[in-house]
Amino acid sequence: MSSLEIGLYSFPALLALVFLRVPIGLAMFVTGLVGLILVTDSTNMAFSRLKNETFSTFSSYSLSIVPMFLLMGYFATLGGMSSALFKAAEGFLGHRKGGVAMAAIGACAGFGAICGSSLATAATMGRVALPELRQYGYAGGFSTATLAAGGTLGILIPPSVVLVIYAILTEQNIAKLFLAAFIPGIMAAIGYVIAISIYVRVFPGSAGIRPPVPMGERFRALFAVWPVLLVFIAVVGGIYGGVFTPTEGAAVGALGTGIIALVNGGLNWRTLLESFTVTARTTAMIFFIVLGAAFYNGFLALTQVPQELSNWVVSQGYSPWTVLAIILVFYLIFGCLMDSLSMILLTIPIFFPVISVLDFGMTEEQVAIWFGILVLIVVEVGLITPPVGMNLFVINAMDRATKMIDTYKAVMFFVATDIVRVIILVMFPSITLFLIS
Amino acid sequence: MGLARFWAIMGGFVLTGLVLLICVSVAGRALNGFLHGDFMTSVAPGFAKWLLDLGIGPVNGDFELVEAGVAFAIFAFLPLCQLTNGHAAVDIFANQFPRWLDRTLRTLTEVLFAVILVLISERLYDGMLSKMRFGETTFLIQFPIWWAYAASFAGSVVTALVAVYMAAVRVAEFVTGRDMLPAGEGAEH
Repeated sequence: MSSLEIGLYSFPALLALVFLRVPIGLAMFVTGLVGLILVTDSTNMAFSRLKNETFSTFSSYSLSIVPMFLLMGYFATLGGMSSALFKAAEGFLGHRKGGVAMAAIGACAGFGAICGSSLATAATMGRVALPELRQYGYAGGFSTATLAAGGTLGILIPPSVVLVIYAILTEQNIAKLFLAAFIPGIMAAIGYVIAISIYVRVFPGSAGIRPPVPMGERFRALFAVWPVLLVFIAVVGGIYGGVFTPTEGAAVGALGTGIIALVNGGLNWRTLLESFTVTARTTAMIFFIVLGAAFYNGFLALTQVPQELSNWVVSQGYSPWTVLAIILVFYLIFGCLMDSLSMILLTIPIFFPVISVLDFGMTEEQVAIWFGILVLIVVEVGLITPPVGMNLFVINAMDRATKMIDTYKAVMFFVATDIVRVIILVMFPSITLFLIS
Repeated sequence: MGLARFWAIMGGFVLTGLVLLICVSVAGRALNGFLHGDFMTSVAPGFAKWLLDLGIGPVNGDFELVEAGVAFAIFAFLPLCQLTNGHAAVDIFANQFPRWLDRTLRTLTEVLFAVILVLISERLYDGMLSKMRFGETTFLIQFPIWWAYAASFAGSVVTALVAVYMAAVRVAEFVTGRDMLPAGEGAEH
């Protein structure tokens, strides 16, 4: 077998392992290892690479941003920022039709600005907003769907762990990617608010009325969110303004949210240890996938499959837009089965070379950033698409009284606005690239 | 459980240490720039010089310390993830499998995982030995790279131990047909 053939056969082998529930990082690692041994016909190269590759993958300055952002998100939860955000949003929106749900979306967007993970945002806001939604007569499935969708804002609105990984894989500037994600993130929040207002008009019985909050109280609640604003401006502003590197920004953010949590009394010895163990589990999971992907991609590069694939696509003379559309639909389908980070690590090394040789009438960097944001959005749609949207499970597990099928039905309104947004962003790349040009 | 938790918490403290180190470095750099700036050099040059001579500035070699520290932290985090089945997997198809197939797959996966993690640990040891032999040091603060390898190696040994333990339990479950450990709840991310 030629090495190119071995490379091609590794795809079905890898997919088979993944669908047999072999952890994704392990599956990539084993496929890469076996493939490397087959291609070089000995264990020498594979084993000598392993001497340094695990250490060098884990001891990366730019990847150290990931555990720091995770710690920051957990401290933000402990600091009570989620409930402060929700109170402020509820004060201004709560009395409208479907207003409490809109407030939940607004609060998720705010929390997303200091938290880089989707599930963490959904889970944190779920604890705060779900009881309120139910108290004011919002239907079960509608409430859970709102929070599941709101959770995806956690990863769209910078900082975002998935974007960090994308930036490292494609050697792009993290600060620019964060900035580019900003407008699409706000569009997502607006889209979800529109979804809510349509939903409550189609099903008028699904939302109750909440009495308006006096003006003075509204502004007091708004004032209480200043720590969130401060951390966001310090971290994202500092990174973009070139005051510090993204890793330094993450460290400053972790320290900042830690201090706020300490002052608010949310952080004590017990919760500190808890935040360590939660961060530990998630970090270890992410880095094992990163390791597997590094090893697998090293093998793939050796077989030249990514180059051959992009050469083939170019030689077929397909329109770049057709190729892009096929890739995005592929992500949409696979995103329903796999978590976003694994998806990106698994596919970007294959798809990115293809996309970067196609001519979209933009510079290479612009295409890379635009494509990254599009991919981020479509894999996140997978998080709230039935049957296996992870956010749906997390939120549904918090509200035992609501049937999964009700959540499924209601979430389709949100998925619809996601699809519309992806189409708009594909049609007008300048929306994404506006802030960085 | 105790051992894995202990290591995760150690990793957490190291991570916190790195966060503080970076913040000190950022603050030092900012202060250094301020002391060198027009304002301080014209208003209080002596005072500024005194502070600068004390060594106010970015931490030397912070980059290298972060790289070494974060590698240790991740190796220290792995045992807990291993023990609590925190690795991301696609279980939508496997959940439909008959019970015997489900158990066989679970056992095989766990054994495979143990083999790989032992291999990783053994290779890391080899890597450490060669760094030791050539006496490689980091660029700025010149500490031997094998120290960082040794710290990571310790974590990888614990991970391998936990993985072997998990594999042994799954094999025992498979042979006796009794459940001893929960199947795991999947990780958040």
